Amino acid sequence: MILWTPMQLELVLEGLEDMGAPCYSRVSHRGVPMLVEKTADGRVRVARLLSTNPAHYLNNDYVPGSFLQFEQMPL
Amino acid sequence: MPSCSSFGEEPGVFPYSPDIDPEPSVEPDYNPDYPGEPYHPDIGRPKEPRRVQGRPKGGVESIKELGTAQVPEVKSNIHCLTVVGQIEGHLVLPPQNKTTKYEHIIPQLVAIEQAPEIEGVLIILNTVGGDVEAGLAIAEMITSLSKPTVSVVLGGGHSIGVPIAVASRYSFIAETASMTIHPIRLNGLVIGVPQTYEYLDKMQDRVVNFVTSHSRITSDQFRELMFRTGELARDIGTVLIGKDAVEKGLIDEVGGIGRAVSKLKQMVEEEKRHNEVGPQ
Repeated sequence: MILWTPMQLELVLEGLEDMGAPCYSRVSHRGVPMLVEKTADGRVRVARLLSTNPAHYLNNDYVPGSFLQFEQMPL
Repeated sequence: MPSCSSFGEEPGVFPYSPDIDPEPSVEPDYNPDYPGEPYHPDIGRPKEPRRVQGRPKGGVESIKELGTAQVPEVKSNIHCLTVVGQIEGHLVLPPQNKTTKYEHIIPQLVAIEQAPEIEGVLIILNTVGGDVEAGLAIAEMITSLSKPTVSVVLGGGHSIGVPIAVASRYSFIAETASMTIHPIRLNGLVIGVPQTYEYLDKMQDRVVNFVTSHSRITSDQFRELMFRTGELARDIGTVLIGKDAVEKGLIDEVGGIGRAVSKLKQMVEEEKRHNEVGPQ
């Protein structure tokens, strides 16, 4: 990886060692497959969409980092 | 005078004005014509006809009465893509970074290309650079879109933000925005052999070739800016601010969001005209 930025690398990469491997689960929310992670307060955050339908990527509810609204929690 | 002249007298007002309040929350008055109606204590009360205008519920009313926020949806034929913070590559950056994720941006651009209702793309940049591969991938996607694209550099478009800024068909830079042009560097373990330098040079060429083929700057000029000493405190290279970037030929025009949107609209109109003429 070539990180090309005028920001100091110590700032950008600070905490990289403590991050640990992210714990993703694969779920399908209203027919959209995605990788999600559970936050400490029990909410479900979108990490990445796995859908092959490009229209799903324009849906604002599924932007990485947004929290899913579940009728029933699947996890 | 036409009979429907009341239409359009006051925008948003429906001309139908019934005798009773059409709101479902209001109990309808007892009507002796319909004896099947349940018993109502105010049966003998004289009817007080009320005239109400059938006005559609506004945003504040629907929040108060129904608990829903109905934000009026403005249909737009342009799409706005924001590239902010670090452009995240194949490595997930620590959470204190604001990142733009290429795995989301790239399919978004596919959807934009394919959606018939989207006629133009506005790219807003305020980025400090990031991963070279991811940045070049986004830049190549933008430049290969068949729809008109306009980019605006606000704040900053540094390092790998430069190829993304020039990837659009027309680019703007805010008067105070800056672009840092400096050499790329390798992170992590670097083996001290001549091949390392050659590899670095190759990676550098990818960026330089992209920038020079999508803007008016020449390769020599860009490299001169990149390797200039005495400008940056911690690095070699140059910071171009606002009109400097235009003078060097990197960006097309100094301007903000108003100019960018009107330029994009103009390009969309030109594209439409071109498509109408084209098939004949």
